[in-house]
Amino acid sequence: MFWSRQWSVPRLELWEKIMQQKKAKYSFLMMLCIVLLGIIGPWIAPHDPTKTYYEAFMQGPSKDFWLGTDAIGRDILSRMLYGTRVTLTVALLASVMTFVAGTLIGVTCAYLGGIVDNLIMRIMDIMLALPGIVLALAIVAVLGPSQENAMIAIGISSIPAFSILIRGAALSIKQSGYVEASRSIGSSNWWIITRQFIPNISNVLIVYTTMFIGSAILGTSALGFIGLGAQPPTPEWGTMLNEGKNYLREAWWLATFPGLAITAVVFTVYLLGDALRDIFDPKS
Amino acid sequence: MTNVLEVTGLTTTFSKNEKAFKVVDNLCLQVKRGESVGIVGESGCGKSVASLSMMRLLSKNGSIAGRIQLNGADLLRYSEKEMQKIRGKEIAMIFQEPMTSLNPVLTIGKQLSEGLEKHEGMNRVQSRQRVLELLTQVGISRANEIYHEYPHRLSGGMRQRVMIAMAIACHPKLLIADEPTTALDVTIQAQILDVMKKIQRELGMSLIMITHDLGVVAETCDRVLVMYAGQVIEAADVRTLLRSPKHPYTVGLIKSTPHNAKGQKRLHSIAGSVPTPDHYPKGCRFAPRCEKVMAVCLEQNPPLLDVDQQSECRCWLYRENRESTAVNG
Amino acid sequence: MKTPLLQVKNLNKKFLTRKGWFQPPSYVHAVHGVNVTVNAGETLGIVGESGCGKSTLGRCILRLIEPTDGEIVFEGQNIRSLQKADMQKLRRDMQMVFQNPFDTLNPKLTIQHILSEPLIAHGIPKRERAAMMEETMEIVGLNKNHLSRYAHEFSGGQRQRIGIARALMLRPKLIIADEPVSALDVSIQSQILNLLQDLQEQFSLTYLFISHDLSVVEHIADRVAVMYLGEVIELAKKEELFQRPMHPYTQSLLSAIPITDPDEKKERIILTGDLPSPSNPPQGCKFHPRCWACMDVCKTEAPPFTETDGRLVACHLYEK
Repeated sequence: MFWSRQWSVPRLELWEKIMQQKKAKYSFLMMLCIVLLGIIGPWIAPHDPTKTYYEAFMQGPSKDFWLGTDAIGRDILSRMLYGTRVTLTVALLASVMTFVAGTLIGVTCAYLGGIVDNLIMRIMDIMLALPGIVLALAIVAVLGPSQENAMIAIGISSIPAFSILIRGAALSIKQSGYVEASRSIGSSNWWIITRQFIPNISNVLIVYTTMFIGSAILGTSALGFIGLGAQPPTPEWGTMLNEGKNYLREAWWLATFPGLAITAVVFTVYLLGDALRDIFDPKS
Repeated sequence: MTNVLEVTGLTTTFSKNEKAFKVVDNLCLQVKRGESVGIVGESGCGKSVASLSMMRLLSKNGSIAGRIQLNGADLLRYSEKEMQKIRGKEIAMIFQEPMTSLNPVLTIGKQLSEGLEKHEGMNRVQSRQRVLELLTQVGISRANEIYHEYPHRLSGGMRQRVMIAMAIACHPKLLIADEPTTALDVTIQAQILDVMKKIQRELGMSLIMITHDLGVVAETCDRVLVMYAGQVIEAADVRTLLRSPKHPYTVGLIKSTPHNAKGQKRLHSIAGSVPTPDHYPKGCRFAPRCEKVMAVCLEQNPPLLDVDQQSECRCWLYRENRESTAVNG
Repeated sequence: MKTPLLQVKNLNKKFLTRKGWFQPPSYVHAVHGVNVTVNAGETLGIVGESGCGKSTLGRCILRLIEPTDGEIVFEGQNIRSLQKADMQKLRRDMQMVFQNPFDTLNPKLTIQHILSEPLIAHGIPKRERAAMMEETMEIVGLNKNHLSRYAHEFSGGQRQRIGIARALMLRPKLIIADEPVSALDVSIQSQILNLLQDLQEQFSLTYLFISHDLSVVEHIADRVAVMYLGEVIELAKKEELFQRPMHPYTQSLLSAIPITDPDEKKERIILTGDLPSPSNPPQGCKFHPRCWACMDVCKTEAPPFTETDGRLVACHLYEK
């Protein structure tokens, strides 16, 4: 891959810088824990997330069920641990989609300019005119509700904002001498985009992608909440939040713990993004 | 004649990552009334930092040692507030890129009169009158129009003229010009140097000209200091320096100017490149690039030695000279 | 008489500048009817002040900027009519060295990556690349161990050597050098100028040497073209131009160079006024508002660029 070797040095520096800065260090470690939970969650979960315990409907937190059980007697902690993986997978894959498509669109537009740039950017403007969640809703409505489609919807709906940000960053690279030098050598456009542009906007890419992961998690949960994301009985935080909202008075634990989980994860991701921005852009 | 400025042992140290770099090392300099002194050197030799030190305009991680006496008063003893009164009024400075020193949202007239109203206590009418005078003095023919213009509407040469007008507004005794014509075209450079010389004559002002261009020095200066890697390596009057340079670096610098190589196929060149403050060699800092390097050069950094009572030169080649003068005197 | 390697015929470049969507478009005529010929093996210097269009001319010849009209004939072939792919191939023979060595090397790539770019772009097989890179590094005076480093680890002079190595990788016939030494210190500048001359001899290169510095051009060029506001106003052999400049602009340009010899006193011609804006050039001869020899005819009629007394100059003074 084109980034394998060239990026090795900046990556090392990045690691050192993250470890130097408190905010970056802790948010990064927290993020690591969350991802780890997503991976090993199913193994450490005390119960089967879909199994109904008939003797324990809507029980509060107890020794057997640490975070209580839901309306049909399933263990909330286990469901949440399983749900970490679902939410993270959807959010990460959606972000990867945004990252790849948005980077290519943004850089290509900046580099080529002219009619191509104008046309694509006007389409992006139109897409941007709709709030992201409305756009995602429309896409899911067309594709049908499912975990995969939620992912596609969230991915697509963040592309416009992402590509416009990347285009802005790439425009400054376009002015640089090495892009002109590359053209004078006779290199192909693809080469110029992958070798000259992308390594030099890698900082921006890392920061924006992190930020977009945060909003993708929110988006995943939101779609789950309105029943357009992962379908029951798959455990998913947004879906769990929705199931719990009807019983807020009788059983607060149903909605509270998934809600807290969403908040905590999104907060961590944004904190990390903010810290990364401080690292890359010491001026602001 | 009295010295307007007397700098002794000026040493500027920058600290970065808990390491200290001496960017200017033991600089001594006297400027007489009405005299122009040039400081020449390549990028990174410390000439700009030296000038900023004299103005006490360094960023926080730089510290200054030594003595900077302006008319007998040590500038390093002044508080920042007192320094602000000195800047502009006693010493003024112009920079390579005038745009960075001009406020883009104020008209030229406004910026120039502001200082006059504050420093000299003039009223609106007086200051306007004076600004127009100043603009005419620096050779701006359409002073009335320029008064109402914004900086970005002016060409580089015009901006530099405005900067000069701003610098001389309060009749400073000393003007420090840091590469004032480097960003300009030759024909414009000629105009600006002309204006600077004229104004210096008219106001009897002293001038420190900081430049990398020996040609500019030859045109404007009476005396020259050549700096290399933070130290003065040669000081002499301009004619002596250019006619009979002593230090191998100065010799190389003059010879490598294309203009001095008329008819030669190849240019003289100095091998290698200027060392950075964290990689200064032991001994003479020029030794690794020097053609006449001797054993002693690699061990000990030479002091500034007197050569024929005309120039001072930091080179072991002239050691004999000092010993003989020491015997005589 | 050698056949010219490059002929530029009546080249024009107009940049469109539109202040707003509803305003009529206005043009900056950056290159205006330029005719120059570059013979194989020679160095043609192009001098002029900032904004005179000399850099635009260089980029138009390489079609990095698409010229508005005119012909660029390289080895008998009009390259303006070439398709994009053919043009890409032709870039093997014409390369460029840029001014700012700090900006033209990608900071995120190693020197090896930077130098392999032209080889990859022109399909040199992988097994030959390493040897070619090492050889070229040595030719430009660098060590082959430097290949694994990044650009920021080098000084300005070394970076410019890398820039030259990159242009030299494919052994081109023509190198367009756009202010290759103006960002460098004097002692480094002479190293690079010497290197460029050595390379010219070794590889029988042809240079189009663009610079604002007359003394540098005087040293390296065989013939010199002087540009003012997009036009070539004088073109002559170096010796002729520097000993007997004909156009008043050339004369003032020469007299404005500061000289390091304190005893060499010379008549200074100090021009009044600034370079006019290229978007609104004066009528007639473009130089007339600043010219001390301005006549009535200069204000209305642009002088043709013609041969008088064996010299090419665009000035009414020399018309018969």
